[in-house]
Amino acid sequence: MSLRIGVVGAGGFGQALAIASARNGQDVLLWSRKERDLPDRIRSSTDIGSMRDRELIFVAVPSQHAVSVTEQLGEVVDGRHLMVHISRGLIGDDLQTLTKVIREKTVCRRIGVLAGPLVADALAEGRPSGAILGTGFPELTTMVREAIGGSDLRIYDTKDVVGVELASATVGFLTVILGYAQAMGAEPGTLAVVATRGMVEMARVGQTLGADESTFMGLAGLGDLIAAVAGDERPELRLGRALARGSKLQAAIGEVGAYVEGFEVARHLLEHARRSGLETPISSTFVAVSDGRMTPNDAIQALMERRVGTE
Amino acid sequence: MLKRFLSERPLRLPHIKPYVPRPSDPSIFWFNSEREDIVAEVVSRICADHESDGNRLEIALNDAAFHEIRRLEKQRDEEARERLGYWRSMIRRIGKMDEAEQRRVLHTIVTTMTHDVAGNFDPRVYRFARHAVPRLIGGVMEPSRLTKDLMGSSPEALGRVLKVQGDLEHLRYLQDKGSLVFVPTHSSNLDSIVLAQALEISGLPPVIYGAGKNLFTNPIISFFMHNLGAYRVDRRIRVSLYKDVLKLYSQVMIERGYHSLFFPGGTRSRSGMIERHLKLGLLGSAVEAFTTNQVRRIARPVWIVPTTINYALVLEAETLIRDWLTEEGQARYIIEDDEFSRIDRWIAFFRKVVGMRGACIIRFGSPIDPFGNAVDGSGQSVTPTGRVIDPGGYVEHRGKAVVDDARDAAYTRELGEVLAARYEQDSVLMSTQVVAHVLFRNLVQATPGLDLFARLRLRGEIRLPCDALCDELGETCDRLREIKNRGRVRTSDVVDEDAPRELLDRALSFWNGYHDSIAASLEGDHVVIGDPSLLLYYQNRLVPWAEEIARPDQLLAACEIQKLGVHR
Repeated sequence: MSLRIGVVGAGGFGQALAIASARNGQDVLLWSRKERDLPDRIRSSTDIGSMRDRELIFVAVPSQHAVSVTEQLGEVVDGRHLMVHISRGLIGDDLQTLTKVIREKTVCRRIGVLAGPLVADALAEGRPSGAILGTGFPELTTMVREAIGGSDLRIYDTKDVVGVELASATVGFLTVILGYAQAMGAEPGTLAVVATRGMVEMARVGQTLGADESTFMGLAGLGDLIAAVAGDERPELRLGRALARGSKLQAAIGEVGAYVEGFEVARHLLEHARRSGLETPISSTFVAVSDGRMTPNDAIQALMERRVGTE
Repeated sequence: MLKRFLSERPLRLPHIKPYVPRPSDPSIFWFNSEREDIVAEVVSRICADHESDGNRLEIALNDAAFHEIRRLEKQRDEEARERLGYWRSMIRRIGKMDEAEQRRVLHTIVTTMTHDVAGNFDPRVYRFARHAVPRLIGGVMEPSRLTKDLMGSSPEALGRVLKVQGDLEHLRYLQDKGSLVFVPTHSSNLDSIVLAQALEISGLPPVIYGAGKNLFTNPIISFFMHNLGAYRVDRRIRVSLYKDVLKLYSQVMIERGYHSLFFPGGTRSRSGMIERHLKLGLLGSAVEAFTTNQVRRIARPVWIVPTTINYALVLEAETLIRDWLTEEGQARYIIEDDEFSRIDRWIAFFRKVVGMRGACIIRFGSPIDPFGNAVDGSGQSVTPTGRVIDPGGYVEHRGKAVVDDARDAAYTRELGEVLAARYEQDSVLMSTQVVAHVLFRNLVQATPGLDLFARLRLRGEIRLPCDALCDELGETCDRLREIKNRGRVRTSDVVDEDAPRELLDRALSFWNGYHDSIAASLEGDHVVIGDPSLLLYYQNRLVPWAEEIARPDQLLAACEIQKLGVHR
């Protein structure tokens, strides 16, 4: 018997999830605010109530809409539903993860987050790829594998839900830094140091928020970052390059033409790090450069003059 | 020898004719007639679970023999002399046994363990206890009123000291509709006694609960424990089968509608902080009881009642904080030589609190279902916006209720997080805790760069002007009230109503004369910090809000205090 899958959000990733589910023979219903033309096997609806009879719901809306959409879902779902989100953002000054928001706004408990180097095109076209699912519920892992997994998509799982969400949010910001460094002519070795040490400092911050450090070094963190730099042309990479060309932050975001939340997340994480007494030299220095408080040369000098420690 | 006799051979009153429960009696009155059936069900379910896999069966027997031999070899007592031979002989034979013999041995071990755990309930002892215990405690508090109290309806002294808060009407309604599971914070061995009294005066039902076997060594407490439905928990036994028995016994009792109580903190909070990392074993039994009833199509809801027990003065404060501060405390799970075991400390404690209104506040929080959802007045689970939902949906897989241990373990972890948050919201901050916090914050602020242990050695060295301290105390209470108004914590009436100077005097009066050391004292127009460890213990209750209730110039000290809670 096919699974009744719901997808909330008709952006690139939402459609890819719907297509992958339909390809696996599932009964797919996609919700969006506006009517959409979709492949034959996918039904669509503009009524959020249509999610009521779904078993597994993918929430694929940008973080800035996540709270309002989740509130609407809260009027529809109950304890029978299983829910997975794909958000890379954190919400509010207190760095709320979307699973926490879903838990507060709905009565759904079997919740997970899908992250890692999976990109919409590869998922929709069935090209070989991999992802990580963070959830405490093994039955959710089984259902997601049945819904979209298969010989072309390996879905690993971990119980460290908050780790996956924080690592995933961190990748966006580190990708901007790497885009900037690339455009400034940094060599591969330099990029590797920035990527690795940047991830380590963010992992330390993540630990104070309940995450497991190793999650940052897996598919949700470094794995995703490698994919970003290896060339899947994410908006964050383009944003970094625009900044390196001398554009101001708001102007650079405008040039990219996509919603990039990495900076907002980074500012909140860095404030949290400061209050916890943690050092985050790479991230803090880059924010100072992008805010115009430091020149690129001063930034490099400041980072290189730091005392070197044990890894 | 006597200790072992008391803990293993329950003293029971003779029965002339068996008591036949009336329909209006609480569910626990049916316990004795169901006892053997409950034991048999626990044994049968554990054996069935292990017998389905021969490998698992052999591992369970080896684990039991290994851990029991190790324990008994260390104990070197009479029990060791009796039982060590059995286990040594068994561990040699396990490998040679065929599966049928292994099953027989498993059945024997599990039956013995379950009988050892299962309690007894005697309605006569219950009626005596509910009449006499509060009066005796009242008598200790005010000896001059003992005769009057024994004859009267209820002891006045106890009523003044113990306050009960919460939506009691709601809980009284629910008690006949399903199983209530009370899950209190745990500060003192007095907790079960005051909680039983709080249930009694609130018109709530008696509950079954697990009591450490060490408590059964006191003959009087042992008699009451044995006959009031308490089941025995021997924390020395590390055998996984024994843990299965304990958990399943609790589960079967909840499944059958017995109201239960357990302390998710596992042991008394040594630091005085509100528990955050909860032990999930028994909590899981509530979730699994709900699942099992759903699978069997038994419509008996399970509701969890987060409960906070708040003392202005803690009987064992000195021992507990000393234990927390020493490495010994990390391993010393069972303390047998603290204030709870000394009758003179009990008398001193009750005499001290009698003059203090509201010295202990029990707050029964709003009940929740096993998945953390609120429950409305009629017992239905509701969403944050008030929509009624069926909690049975949580244990369904593709439309059918199923047992899934991994899923229920995940629900239990989430329930533990909900409870930890509810403990903070429902904690009632007491005068001694607030005053201790302000004093301790001053100590931290006056000693920048010192670590915790260096600060705790500063006895009699920090002197604070009384007027400035009272101003600060007033500001701190104002900030606490703001947090209270946002529903994030509660404060006692005394903290709300008394002037700062009255609060200070009250706290000093509570501590001094009961605790062996002087927490703080008045010298002219200054307050002198005497024992920072005691202040640390009482102030630790406020750790989650330390930064929010500090003035900007106290923020660094508050940050240091808040960091104490990182590993709580």
